[in-house]
This record gives sequence, structure tokens and C-alpha cells, in this order.
Amino acid sequence: MRFVIQRFLLFVAALLAISVVIFAALRILPGDVASVMAGLNAPPERVAQLRSQMGLDRPLVVQYFSWMGGLLRGNFGTSLLTGRSISSTVAMRASVTFPLIVLGLVVALAIGLTLGVVATLTTRSAVRSAFHFVAIVGGAIPALWGGLLLILLFGRGTGLLGILPSQGFPEAGWSSFGSALASLVLPALTVGIIDGASLMRYTRSALGDVMNSGYMDQAMACGYTRRQAALKVGLRLATPQLVSVVGLMFAGMITGVMVIENLFALPGIGAGLVTDLGNRDLIAVQSELFMLAAFFLLVGFLVDLLHRFLDPRLKHAVQGGAQ
Amino acid sequence: MTQPSGKVSKNRGTKSSNKFAIVLRSIWRRGEGKFALIVLALWVAVSLISLVWTPQSLWATDGYHVWAKPSAAHWLGTDGTGADVFSWLMAGAHTNLFIAILAVIFAGALGILLMGAMVSRNSALSNVSVVAVDALISIPTVLIALILAVPMGASVAVIIIACGIGYGLNLARIARPQALLAANSDYVASALSYGASGFSVMLYHILPNTMPTIMVQLSLSAGTAVLAESGLTYLGVGVPSGVPSWGHSLATSVKFINVYPLTVLWPGLIVTVVVVALNVFGDVLRDAVDPVTNPELREV
Repeated sequence: MRFVIQRFLLFVAALLAISVVIFAALRILPGDVASVMAGLNAPPERVAQLRSQMGLDRPLVVQYFSWMGGLLRGNFGTSLLTGRSISSTVAMRASVTFPLIVLGLVVALAIGLTLGVVATLTTRSAVRSAFHFVAIVGGAIPALWGGLLLILLFGRGTGLLGILPSQGFPEAGWSSFGSALASLVLPALTVGIIDGASLMRYTRSALGDVMNSGYMDQAMACGYTRRQAALKVGLRLATPQLVSVVGLMFAGMITGVMVIENLFALPGIGAGLVTDLGNRDLIAVQSELFMLAAFFLLVGFLVDLLHRFLDPRLKHAVQGGAQ
Repeated sequence: MTQPSGKVSKNRGTKSSNKFAIVLRSIWRRGEGKFALIVLALWVAVSLISLVWTPQSLWATDGYHVWAKPSAAHWLGTDGTGADVFSWLMAGAHTNLFIAILAVIFAGALGILLMGAMVSRNSALSNVSVVAVDALISIPTVLIALILAVPMGASVAVIIIACGIGYGLNLARIARPQALLAANSDYVASALSYGASGFSVMLYHILPNTMPTIMVQLSLSAGTAVLAESGLTYLGVGVPSGVPSWGHSLATSVKFINVYPLTVLWPGLIVTVVVVALNVFGDVLRDAVDPVTNPELREV
């Protein structure tokens, strides 16, 4: 319990720290949003009027606390450029990004776990080095390029096979389920294959460590074959470590998909953030960055708790270490 | 009295150069090590050459020959402005090398500093740094870069600083267990009992003991920096337009993928090969600097 409270306090402290960093970074911005909105040849009075309208002329401390106060009440503010509420915009974008990273994670798990287990269990060195090669090259492919290669292979219009849509998301969103899903297949494959390659390396090293431990000898002494022992006992023992990796991967995907969303013209969180950044939509960028950072910190917090919960040995190790 | 001490220092000198030679030799001895060393040497060589010479001028645009097929004059053809693709890729080598080296130096300095703070005997300093690293490490590099890009705009510095912060935090976290082991060792206790300062303990005991881990981690970070460059430049917050880089070549070719699909192949291929080489180098280096796996090191 003490661990949970400590970890929670760390989470809150990190949130506060990152909110200050984001706020400070955005206020040093040259050419603020008021002058962008007013237009190139706007008279200074018009800019000043806009600034006071948006509260940009208030002291920084006041601006910070009114922003934080809004966040605490679930009010993320309204976009200065579109006048729409930021929470609703982000919710709309999340309905594209979230399914995308879940699909990507499914692909990554399918590839990474299967290949990782096979690579650990195989005794043929040719197979081993082939897997090693795949893992290393897969992790070195720039996401942008990987996506392009998939478009060139499968994309409708340009691709050799031309079977999958490679641009955009249906206007109707998830109410046209089939085409919405189809438009996410290539992006999810891109994310999933690249992350699957690195997940495979983690699986192999985590499972490999377990395979060399006494637990395996014990399982085999009880009559399991090596393969059975690996699948029934080894995987379970490797799970806590893998949960940590997958959790961080899940959080990391949300930035990984920034490039992918732009490439496949998907109206998701990543693409939206880049657009807002380009438009100097200060309030929107500020709240969006904070939400993303909060998401990472939250996943990190949950992963640590889960890891602890799944691996009771840690608890004793830490307590033993403290004594 | 003077002679022995002179001899010792001389031995120390040859020892360290031997060590370097042994590490390099054991990397070269392995097939994948050879591959990594050759690719990295080529990268450095091309970077240096591109500073003084490229087959065509980077700024020679030719409106009559846009998207030209590969020819004797343009080895990989031309792009949408008629500029030579091969020359731009060559010049990209030095921008990417510059980014990778500076990001690694920055990450190394920050990481070592944080590592020192984390294992410091000053409990306030060590507690604060441990909490700070734990808190900030989950913020991905891309996000740091986006935050930085707001005030700084698209620039090479954004990539370097963001990667430096991200990889530096990572490095501190990864090297900390080893640094702690060294800090709690008997030799450090004895050095302290002779009145050694925290700084000299860090410099002469903790740093040498964590150096292998740090070097391996930094060589992997260099690969990640090359990857980050292509992503950030594509997102418009990395290398600004007009500056040659592989990410830049890749990003420009993306816009024309429907018309000239083959031009996207080269920059992506180069980035992949270089990143593979850096990752392989890191892996092989891990074995080469570890006295357990490299018995030759034990003899010097």
C-alpha cells in the first residue's frame, strides 16, 4: 500500500512538473496566436484587442492557474482558431487514434510473442539467426518508410496489389464500420510490424532468462518437455516483464502514430496536434500536449502497479533491500 | 624512485591503447561486427567528402529535367526541382552524422551527470534526481521535441536537445544499478577513507565501472537519433527545408509517391542500413567490452 501511495504521489508531481514545462515553453513562443489570427497586416490595436479577449494579457501566473483550474474541472478550453471546445475535438480524434493503436498492438503482440517464443525454443541456428536478423532490421525501419512500402505494396491506386485504402478516414466515421476498419488496416500493420520486431527481442530475452533459471529445471523434473515447460511455466514467469514492455509500447504508440496518421491522412490525435502546432493554436496545443503527457504518465503508473501485482517477488526484494 | 613511477604511467598508457585495439579487433572478428564497422566508416567518409564535394551542386536546379531517370550525370535521377538526388543523399550524411554525434554527446553528459546525482551520498540530491528521472522518463522524445518546437520552430537543435534529454534520462536509469554497485563497493569505501572527494570517486571509480554500459547505450541511442530525425523532419519540427538530411529526402519524396514511387526507396534504405549498423555495433560492443565474454580483456 505504501508503494501505491508513493507511486501515486510521483505521478501527481510529474503531472504538475510537465504542466509547468508545457506552459512555460508555449509562452516563450515568438509571434503569438493573436497576431496570427489578426492577419499579416492587422493594426496593433486589433492584435491587442484579440489578446485581451483571449486573456493573453493577464499575468502568466493567473493564466496558468486559470488553465489548471479548467483542467481540474474537465474544461480544456476552446480553440482560439475554430472556437470549438478542445475536449470534443480531442474526443473525435481519439475515436480514430485509439482503435488504431489497439489494432497496432494486436498486430505487434501477434508477431512479437509468436516469433519471440519460436526464436527462444528453436534449436536450429539458421532459424535463430534468421529471427535475429528480422528483429534487428524490423526495429531499424523508419515508420514513415515502412508505411510507404506497405502503401506501395497494398495501397489502392498506387500499390502493386491495390487492395486496401491508403488515404483518409470515412466522413461518417465508425457508423460506416467496414470502411473505417479498412482504412486502419495498413496504418495498424505499419505500427504493429515495427513494434512487433522489438517486442520479439524483449520476449526472447525475458523468456530466455526464465529458461535458464531453476524454475525450468524444476518444471522439467516434474515431467514437462522443454516446450511444455516454456509455454506453461516460462511464459507465465516472463509475463510481468512483458507487461511492462507492452504497457510502455502502448503509450509510445500514441506518438509513433503521429507520423503514421499524417502519412495515411487520418484525422487522429497525432495529426491533429501537428496541425494545431502549425496554426499556432496556443490553447489547443497546450491542452493537447498536456493530455498526451498525462496519458503517458498514467500508463506508466498503472504499469508499475500491475508489474508489482503480477510479481510478488518484487515486493519482498524492495523490502529486503530497505532493511 | 622516479623510474618505477614513470614506468607505471607508461604501462598505463599502452594498456589503454591495447584495450581499445582489443575491443576493435574483437568487433572486427565477428561477421556482423565487420558489417557495422564498414557501414559506419563509410558514413563518416561520405559525410566528410560531402562537405567539400558532391557530384552535382546541391543548388543546381534544372527545370527541364525534373524527376529524371538515373543517368551518368544524375546517378539516382533528379527530384521535383531538377536537383540531383544522389548529391542530396550524400550531403544528408553529414547532417545526420552531426545530429547523431551531438545528440549522443548531450545524452552522455546529461546521463552521467544524472547518474552521479542519483548515486550521490547527498540524500536530498539523490532523492530528487531519482524522482525527477522516474517522472520524466515516461515522456517520449517526440513529445519533448514538439514542446521545444513551439518556441524554437523547425530546427536541427530541436532534434538534438529532445534526443539528448530523452536518451540522457534513459541512460541514467539504465546505468544506475551498476553505478550503485560501484558506489557501495569496498574500493570506494577505502578511497573515501583516504579523503577522496565525491567528484574524484565519480571520475576514477564509478565512471570507469559504468563505461561499458554507457558506451553500448549511447551507440544504440545514435541509431534512435537517426530514426527520430526522419520522423521529426517529416512532422515539420526537425531539419528545416533547405538543409540536406535523409529525413528530408524521405519526407519530400513522400509527397510524390503516387507519381514517382521509386524515389522513396533510397533515403529509407540508407536510414535502415545505418540504424541496423549502429544497433549491431551496440550489440557486438556489449560482448567486446565485457571481460566475461571477451577473455582477452582480462589479460591486459
